Amino acid sequence: MMDREVLERFRLGDEAAVKAVYDRFGGPVFALSMRILGEQGLAADATQQTFLKAWRAASTYDPERNFGPWIYAIARRTAIDIYRKQRRSVVTDDLDVAVLPPGLETAWEVFEVRAAVDQLPDEERQVIKLSHFDGLTHVEIAEQLDIPVGTVKSRSHRAHQRLIELLRHVEEA
Amino acid sequence: MSDETRSRYLESGSGEVSGESERLDLIRDVLGDEATWAEPPRRVADEVMAAVALQRPTTPPVEARSGGSRWAMVVGGIGAAAAVVTLVLASVSVIRSQPAETLVPMAGTELEPGASGEASVRPTGSGWWIRLDLEDLPPAPEGSYYEGWVWSDEGEGVSIGTFHLRDGPEPVIMWSGVAMSEYPSIWVTLEPEDEGPEASGEVVMKGRMPDSGDA
Repeated sequence: MMDREVLERFRLGDEAAVKAVYDRFGGPVFALSMRILGEQGLAADATQQTFLKAWRAASTYDPERNFGPWIYAIARRTAIDIYRKQRRSVVTDDLDVAVLPPGLETAWEVFEVRAAVDQLPDEERQVIKLSHFDGLTHVEIAEQLDIPVGTVKSRSHRAHQRLIELLRHVEEA
Repeated sequence: MSDETRSRYLESGSGEVSGESERLDLIRDVLGDEATWAEPPRRVADEVMAAVALQRPTTPPVEARSGGSRWAMVVGGIGAAAAVVTLVLASVSVIRSQPAETLVPMAGTELEPGASGEASVRPTGSGWWIRLDLEDLPPAPEGSYYEGWVWSDEGEGVSIGTFHLRDGPEPVIMWSGVAMSEYPSIWVTLEPEDEGPEASGEVVMKGRMPDSGDA
């Protein structure tokens, strides 16, 4: 959860609060943008535009509500707009404006999962990435990190317990 | 079903989680997705903060410009100038490390003959950053908006963003994902909100990158 005071300062247009919000949500917004756009340069543009739009619209944000869904909606819309506008537009062309990017159906899960792993302690986040993304076994992770296998197992266990708690709303969706 | 059981399933992909495996499998899939772990380039944070600083209102209050005392205009002007200096100093570490900008004069067409301005164009690692500083272009009427385009000499346009100017004449930041050498003309069109994404044909301003020949 974001600090309530930071969110209130963000709502009032405080630039330092924008940086704090970026530090917390830059990763999830970029991950979502990568999922929808599939290209790092476009995802970087989408991330930049998302935070700029969020800053412009900050006065409409209600600090009583969860910030994640609010900025997720802006990020999703921005990425879809960029996806469509990358389809080059010619005056005489008829474009299908209803076309949606292929990665859209799991964009919310990517945003939420990234937001959750970003809240893990570094050593647990590292084990989760090596396990799920790199596909390493506990023994291989232990070798790579030069730590006992038992330590890997306990970190992995704790990390997955935390993820279950952080992602309960995604699991139950 | 206990959190412990679900946690074990999330970790291993196996175990008895009757009726809940589909969502847990989806989370496992997302944890293995490259996008989930992608890190934004470090420059994005700098660009966000620089853009926020650039878009912070710097113009004097409307009252001072439209009928306030001469002294109020002077004070407002000094305040705005001080703000600009502060912004320039604050942004200097970002700007110093970036390639030089190309300035493109923008002129109103017959639809907005009084409009003028300038586009600042700078290549970045992810595309072309374009800032429009426009004067005497009226706010887009309700139900419409302005759209920026880069246009090739072959008549192909790529949208670089939309804006309306209803809250004042602030600089407008836009992005192009195509090379300005291939799309050297910069156009601004007026677009109705209820129509498709293609250009309306109502071109209100035009500019062209220097050294790119005549259109």
